[in-house]
Amino acid sequence: MQFAAGAVGGTLLTPLPWKLADDSAVWSQNWSWRPSPERGEITKVPSVCTLCAGGCGIQARLVNGNRAILIEGNPANPVNEGSVCALAASALQFLYAPYRVTQPLKQTKKRGDKTGFQAISWEQAQTELSKKLEEIRGEGPHTVACITSSRRSSMDDLWAQFFNAYGSPNLFKMPSECDASKSAAQLTTGNSSTFAFDLENAGYVLSFGANLLDGCAAPSRASGALRRWKKDRYPVKIVQVESRASITASKADVFLPINPGTEAALAMGIAHLMVNGANYDAYFVKNNVFGFEDWTDSNGKKHQGFKSLVSSSAYTPEQVAKITGLEPAKVRELAKEFASQPKALAVWGTGRADVSNNTYHELVFVALNALKGNLKPGGLIGLAPKAPLSELSAQKDILSENSSQQPRLDLAKSQNCPCPQNGLYGFLDAVSSGPKYPIKLLMVHEANPAHCLPENKLFAAAAEKVPTLVSFSSFMDETALQSDYILPDHMALERFDDVIGIPGAPYGYYAVSAPIIKPLLDTKHTGEVLMKVASTLGGTVASSIPWKSYEDFLKFRVEGIAKAKAGAVIDKPIEISSIKAGDPVTSNYSDAADLFKKLKAGLCWHDAPSAVTFDKTTSGKLELACQSIGKNAQSSDDVIYLPHFAPLKPSGSESEWPLLLVSYSSPRVSCGYLANTPFMNKLIPDSMLAGDELFIDLNPQTAASLGIAQGDQVKIKTTQGEAGAKANITPAARPGVLYIPRGMGHKAYDEYIGNKGVNACQLMEVQLDPVSGMGTVWATRAQLRRV
Amino acid sequence: MNEEKTSASGKVVGVLLFVLGFAGALVLGYLVFPNLLYSQKLQPLNFSHAAHRDNDCDSCHKFRPDGTYAGIPKISNCKECHESAQGNTEAERILVEEYVAKDREVPWMVYARQPDNVFFSHAPHKGKGVECVTCHRDVTKEEKLPPMREDRITGYSMTTMEMTECEKCHSAKGVSNNCEVCHK
Amino acid sequence: MSEKGHAQSNIRLGMVIDLDKCTGCGACSAACQAENNISFRPDESNKLRSISWMYIYQLDNKKDYPDYKIAYLPRPCMHCDADHHSPCTFVCPVNATTRDENNGIVTHIYPRCIGCRYCMVACPYHARSFNWWDPTWPKPMTSMLSPEVSPRMRGVVEKCTFCHHRYNKARAKAYVDGTDPNKATYNPACADACPTKAITFGNLLDEKSEVAKLSKDPRAFRVLEKLQTKPKVYYLSKQDWIRNLADNSLT
Repeated sequence: MQFAAGAVGGTLLTPLPWKLADDSAVWSQNWSWRPSPERGEITKVPSVCTLCAGGCGIQARLVNGNRAILIEGNPANPVNEGSVCALAASALQFLYAPYRVTQPLKQTKKRGDKTGFQAISWEQAQTELSKKLEEIRGEGPHTVACITSSRRSSMDDLWAQFFNAYGSPNLFKMPSECDASKSAAQLTTGNSSTFAFDLENAGYVLSFGANLLDGCAAPSRASGALRRWKKDRYPVKIVQVESRASITASKADVFLPINPGTEAALAMGIAHLMVNGANYDAYFVKNNVFGFEDWTDSNGKKHQGFKSLVSSSAYTPEQVAKITGLEPAKVRELAKEFASQPKALAVWGTGRADVSNNTYHELVFVALNALKGNLKPGGLIGLAPKAPLSELSAQKDILSENSSQQPRLDLAKSQNCPCPQNGLYGFLDAVSSGPKYPIKLLMVHEANPAHCLPENKLFAAAAEKVPTLVSFSSFMDETALQSDYILPDHMALERFDDVIGIPGAPYGYYAVSAPIIKPLLDTKHTGEVLMKVASTLGGTVASSIPWKSYEDFLKFRVEGIAKAKAGAVIDKPIEISSIKAGDPVTSNYSDAADLFKKLKAGLCWHDAPSAVTFDKTTSGKLELACQSIGKNAQSSDDVIYLPHFAPLKPSGSESEWPLLLVSYSSPRVSCGYLANTPFMNKLIPDSMLAGDELFIDLNPQTAASLGIAQGDQVKIKTTQGEAGAKANITPAARPGVLYIPRGMGHKAYDEYIGNKGVNACQLMEVQLDPVSGMGTVWATRAQLRRV
Repeated sequence: MNEEKTSASGKVVGVLLFVLGFAGALVLGYLVFPNLLYSQKLQPLNFSHAAHRDNDCDSCHKFRPDGTYAGIPKISNCKECHESAQGNTEAERILVEEYVAKDREVPWMVYARQPDNVFFSHAPHKGKGVECVTCHRDVTKEEKLPPMREDRITGYSMTTMEMTECEKCHSAKGVSNNCEVCHK
Repeated sequence: MSEKGHAQSNIRLGMVIDLDKCTGCGACSAACQAENNISFRPDESNKLRSISWMYIYQLDNKKDYPDYKIAYLPRPCMHCDADHHSPCTFVCPVNATTRDENNGIVTHIYPRCIGCRYCMVACPYHARSFNWWDPTWPKPMTSMLSPEVSPRMRGVVEKCTFCHHRYNKARAKAYVDGTDPNKATYNPACADACPTKAITFGNLLDEKSEVAKLSKDPRAFRVLEKLQTKPKVYYLSKQDWIRNLADNSLT
């Protein structure tokens, strides 16, 4: 008793009870299951982002040099000037994604069965691929095909080199907005380049459906342009023409709502008023434009010119108003304003960076700018200059020589479009429907056509006919899941890569993306896999691809720039848009090694813009009458040579399908090869997604006529497919038109990414452009009902 | 009488018992308890600060250009002198063979490690003239690293400074005690 | 202590967001999430449960097509500078959230928070989020957690800190460089990320700073000014409908 009392008394005088009490309090706040981020030195590693084509300079923050914790913008880069987009800010969620493919896999069961993938070594993977390619080569190398990313990089050229040396013409790129611009530049100027827009120096911007702020092909540059337009003094007036009250429309000073896909009609209407009112750059047109007046072809046959076409009664304000849904007065007002503004620029787009445009419409916008004189030297439109990278030339042996007689599969039809381009759709169509020759091996690199190609069922149908499908994806995406082999590439931040030009930018741009971190998994650079396979195949294939590493290959490419002593590296912040065509840019690197060192350190190379040249056309002028269209033409109508409004009618009848479905892109949803990240999922507004249900946007009027209330469960049916969704009633939607966001509805990946909403691509109809053969997407006929 | 006796001797016994219990508790509380509470862990190899007396403290314990403090140096720092063995002690052998040669970091245990929610920067303290020994042990003559004593309940090092200590000094010196000054 | 409340220093960190430049792209919010170890869950569509320090509200002018216009309002913590207290610091029973009178940042200390959520009720801007679950990251993603911000635990409230860890770091650098730490400047992650440079950050009391100038711009306004919370986050817009919305309520 006393002992206990003494013990208690004594204990109370010692730190024991107090320390125990304190410790248990501290212990209760220990949350041992909560991760404790490793500490250490934080360093910054510069690089260049290759997640999209925008070409932004980035820098990664690393802890102890081996753990990346943040991607931020590189202030030294003139394109993004230190900023990043939501996708790049969450880029590390791809690097550390649970759905990455950790090593080469081979499908041992039925395609698409996740449990059937068996891990194999790189040795085995490369041997089996080489063996297949070797076997097929003996039987006819043209039966191998590949689909790669639409992003412009040296990887394209390496693929092309491999295919040339191996002997197959069947190399395709995923569709892009630039495809149509390339066709238009080819037809009107004879240059195989794309048109470039001097957004930053325009004084008035008339945008025909260009989704500048809704996730366009070069988002950082568009954001930079917006910042310059919204300056305090003399802000630049922006006019947005499209059917949806989009973000770009809301940021614009004026929003002109029109029927979907009728932008070109409005442009023709403006051109009509400019021509009839003689309110255009007559000097430029007279001296530099062919086909404006009536023209005579080489056979002496007379043809109608653009002037007589556009000034005809088909494009009066009243006619145009009927097509577009605008008031005739609005058309007149707009034409007057556009014609009178000294630095007015017309830009255009499809509203989606990964969809090509109708070639005739592309030509209409070129014509409108030509009337404005924007294509003259120093004007607001130029041609995207090319970095003088070392050219590749493949050596051919008898096999590749023989197979080069074989036509590319999309062109192997009896009837062909006059100016064929990147004909991925034609190819897929051919493969699935009894082709001229079979495709025995299809490779897919940095692309996910099974999900994000509009009308993605075409890929599925084609893939079924191909005995071996190889994916090089870093991720277990929908296409990888359907593949027989997956040979995972490094993730973008782990590998060497490059950016050749920024889509639509007038200045020359080249940047090397160096890895910020050592590869985390058992992956291999696809470029290096190609090099290994080529050396196994031996002969001219091996000698055409002599490099041992992708870094060596890039060094070789950069040598071309150094040899030409072209352009300069940007080592201090500059206003890149202030450089005009023809301005001298003095090189500031000593040799190729020095240039590569600087590029590897995250600095970018630039060159002055190049003006549009017309010396490659037969007339030596800008050709508004595109004579080459006549080649395979089925019509003898003169209009086929000229820019005109030529909508591709969606299939189905209006009475059966009373509504139109239009897809749109959002800067908060990644809709290309890369899926959304968990960070970006937080950005998706609750008017777009609720749980796993996607919302379809419709106008209150449309909703009232269909008896649909906000949040109702609906079924959407288009001529292509059907899906369940929820209704979001919003005045952003045009009456009679439904809008669906792109990039949702993934079936692969993990619980954070997959099974959210509907994939818009499965509902969209693709129509082949008669001039270029490329797939265009505007609107699809649809029905909507409450369920 | 008996009762008295008993009670008298009982009292003595009682007092004795009380003293015994009291003393026992003190021994337990002051001597046994700390040894029970704190584990003793040895560092991966011994480091003699005394042997490095010729160097300045900040040739190893330095500030990085971004203002953060590097604390215990990295193996690259050791490598500057210890690319090959500088003597024939066991510690030297372990350092060179296990870490320098293999380019691995030594997993030193930090005596003053603070939890994740604490932000501590040496820069303002040094800038305001606080000496290292105000908070850390004097290592100038230390031949042998002391064992790391870790609280078995909380997992903290015995020498981790507690918040009250920080606060006392801050208020004595008129420095802000606002939460975000020291928490992240 | 003066009549006006706490003694104030000559540093008042604040932010100006130009809504006419904001495109609602979400870069600020994504950068904030990466910088501040913000946890995420498989389903983020329930915004009452989703944690976001920089939430982007969509505003609209309530008109019909085609006069319908949208705008975005990124909402960090407003770091209210009302006399004596911010609404949230006033109600906190455990002093887990306080305002630092040296710089005006309203802070929230997780280990101290008891999760009563009074502050969430008190905040008129919905700037605070509650951890209903233990934050978890799919396995490899713990590798991207920053050691500069402590991960939270279940049962605590969290909110924007104006990246005060970056401020502490900038001050530490000033000490090392021998410059005046009270003149140290920094940018929070959101301001760094913004592609249109719509977000400006700095000391509102420094007359020469960009942020001070912009906060006095005729276009400048604050949200719910009538509540006298004196937010240190200003917005800029020329459009009346946006300015009118700001004074009433967030949509």
